[in-house]
Amino acid sequence: MIDKPSITEIVHALTASPDFARDGICFAARTSGLYRSDDGGHTWQLTHNPSGSERPLPTSAVVLSPHFAVDRTVFAGVPGAVMYSEDAGQTWHTVVLSSPPPFVSVLAISPHYAEDGCVFAGTVEDGVFRSGDRGAHWAAWNFGLLDLNVLSLAVSPDYARDQTLFVATDSGIFRSTTGGRAWREVDAGPEGMRSTDFAPVLSLAISPQYAVDGTLFAGSEALGLYRSSDRGRTWQRLGGDALSGPINGIVLDPQYPARPRILVLLHAVLVVSEDDGATWNEWHPDLPDDRALTCVAAPLGLENGAPLLVGTTGGEVLIVQERLFKE
Amino acid sequence: MILPFMRKPLARVMQPTVYTNMERVVFQPATYRGMQRGINQLVGAIRPTLGPRPRVVAIDHVDYHDKTPRLLDDGGAIARLIIELPDRDADVGAMFLRDVLWRLQQQVGDGTATAAVLFQAVFQRGVHYIAAGGNARRLQTFLEQGLRDILEQLNAMVTHLSGREELARIAETVCYDPPLADMLGEIFDIVGEFGRVEIRPGRGRELEREYVEGMYWERGAVSRGMLDGDGQLRTDLEESAILISDLRIKHPQQLYPPLALVIRNNIRSLLIVVDEISDSAIGFLLSNKHPERLRVVAVKTPGHDKEQKAWALEDLAVLTGGRAFVHAAGDTFERIRPEDLGFARRAWADRYNFGIIGGKGNARQLRQHIATLRTAFERTDNPNTRNLLRERIGKLLGGSATLWVGGMTQREIDERVERAKRAATALRGALREGVLPGGGVALWSCRPGLEARARAATDPDERAAYHILAEAMAAPIRTIIANAGFDPSETLAELKRYGPGYGFDVMRERVMPIAEAGIYDPAIVTKSVAYVAITSAAQALTIDVMVHHAQPEQAPLPDLSAPKQL
Repeated sequence: MIDKPSITEIVHALTASPDFARDGICFAARTSGLYRSDDGGHTWQLTHNPSGSERPLPTSAVVLSPHFAVDRTVFAGVPGAVMYSEDAGQTWHTVVLSSPPPFVSVLAISPHYAEDGCVFAGTVEDGVFRSGDRGAHWAAWNFGLLDLNVLSLAVSPDYARDQTLFVATDSGIFRSTTGGRAWREVDAGPEGMRSTDFAPVLSLAISPQYAVDGTLFAGSEALGLYRSSDRGRTWQRLGGDALSGPINGIVLDPQYPARPRILVLLHAVLVVSEDDGATWNEWHPDLPDDRALTCVAAPLGLENGAPLLVGTTGGEVLIVQERLFKE
Repeated sequence: MILPFMRKPLARVMQPTVYTNMERVVFQPATYRGMQRGINQLVGAIRPTLGPRPRVVAIDHVDYHDKTPRLLDDGGAIARLIIELPDRDADVGAMFLRDVLWRLQQQVGDGTATAAVLFQAVFQRGVHYIAAGGNARRLQTFLEQGLRDILEQLNAMVTHLSGREELARIAETVCYDPPLADMLGEIFDIVGEFGRVEIRPGRGRELEREYVEGMYWERGAVSRGMLDGDGQLRTDLEESAILISDLRIKHPQQLYPPLALVIRNNIRSLLIVVDEISDSAIGFLLSNKHPERLRVVAVKTPGHDKEQKAWALEDLAVLTGGRAFVHAAGDTFERIRPEDLGFARRAWADRYNFGIIGGKGNARQLRQHIATLRTAFERTDNPNTRNLLRERIGKLLGGSATLWVGGMTQREIDERVERAKRAATALRGALREGVLPGGGVALWSCRPGLEARARAATDPDERAAYHILAEAMAAPIRTIIANAGFDPSETLAELKRYGPGYGFDVMRERVMPIAEAGIYDPAIVTKSVAYVAITSAAQALTIDVMVHHAQPEQAPLPDLSAPKQL
């Protein structure tokens, strides 16, 4: 099923409420502003314009608190600033990051946000900004981050203990084990994506059981999909030619690795595996030729028939409810 | 085969001391005896400081202006301050060892007391063996062979650490100052092995630290007129172009081409890096009536010599994506093109420094450049080159930390700064090469392997060398235990019962698993201690004759002002 709301331009990010099954709330960060849906993505409304200006601010990133049902907290990245709302997008606070204004490319939030209040903003030219006080203040923390062009961020599910997060940049992956205060190069290898190649990495996904299995996935621009099972020390390529092309998004089953389902967002194709990357199946959405898929959210996990929200370069949000998996 | 006890003591024991008009020549056994006296005196002064419960050594007025004795618990500092012994034979031994310890301290920042004890143990046992007829040269060869075995055993024990707490524990083994160790643990957890850390005396009693984003060089703006006068005397440039050179600007006309270029390209900020700039050229830049259209700040090329300047230009070019204009290559600004300019999100300058945040050079080239510098760092043994390479890498990593060390008195602050610097050096080593069981356990654990080699040896000099090393490896742990007020023999017997992986925790006063107690030493320190102590003692054993000049030269005073940049 494809829904084409009357908005245009690129969908940069999609996120859904942790309580999506009950409240159906999701947000879409678009070039034309931040949109909210209360009915599972079928209809969308522009959120209140926080700047008070006539034109809505282009929004490049959005993330919800893991305790959204309680704290109603939303963060959104706009040019030069991060906005946050504590009432599910009704009213907003804007915090300017620095000058010259950075372009926020990605936002990520600590899984233990209720306790630690940590939020991270990746930017295109200014590296990573970190807030430890629920978005009220931000500071750039780029020790060792040799590439400030951040394309993706992934926070460890066990962040409270291991303080680990990863960033994907235009020249590879960096890891922080200091809660985002300092970064070290991840020596990606052994084939194709070793650190000396410095290949661009567009997307990251971290295992829900990262504390135990140390597994994360990296989607590159041209070298395919990689998996590391030792916290980024060594990497194995997955999928071969089935996954050639820019990988714009990776979603793991919430029960991974017990149920090893993986969804990969290729240029204009959804590719799924239900055997931890050994075999892959493609699903081609009905898209015009000039459109590509930009982002994906799986608010109810990777179940057959459960909705997938998929953003496009045309500004549409697709709701995919296909049987993507055999079992 | 001639067994050692069958060898006749050599004629050296019969040779007298010979006096000439100009010099005094000393032969064996006076040479060994004299050296032993000096070594024993120096080690005796340092020995009480070994371990986490050190005792203090008072050194009589070091400073002509201050008659208060200096109280020290650092073997390296004590060795540095013993500059001459009145007994000239003993002085040779003491100064030989002092030089060894001084170099060790410079290299790894710690381990001088352990090295002193180990040196003494090897030397004394070696002297006994040679006096019984052993061959000093062959013994030296086999001691060095045994050293290779020790280093192999130590390498097999190395583990790597990470995280603030583990780093703080390592720092504490060096500085014995928990708050300072905790702060250093945090700093090095963030900046890493190569990170730029400045340790400065603080103004108050507390420890403070500051992290600075981006990289900076110690060259300020060439004129105060270029700085904003809003109290801080600092100028911040946004989306700045960077003109990188070591050219000498004598005439304002030399600056016309780059200025015309930036104006043509609608660039609003320019940082000019030049080796020299004349007053007339500065005046020309200051005559800018429209700073809102173009802000210009000029700074001098970083570096103290041609090589350092070339390195700084190379780093700036890689970082900002610009081209370095080099005087020696005959470059001028006349044909400058837009792609010759570097760019940065932000650049700044104050009276003393200039810095760059978010250089717009190619990140892949920057990473490759740093990888090349790291390889060069690993390959060189020259401490100065290593320091310079570490500084370069640290700058390029994109941040720095400054630690202000406070204290109750200026003397306390100075000593704390010194300890902080040593701990910082040790932490860099620990991050680079891992850690070994501390408290003398790592060296002591080498004993069974050495004893096995001794049993297998057929050559008497080889067997003796391995026996000497096996016994000497116990000297540091014995000293640590004794300094803490325990009986070394009893404690070591208990430690043997527990087996590998256990050590004696002096602070908790019991045998514990090393991992649980967190008793670790930087591997580079332990390995350097073994290397320096054994090779130096083996060399000292080959000294047969001493010659004293009639007018002895005074031993040089070490430079007690530590380097600014770690």
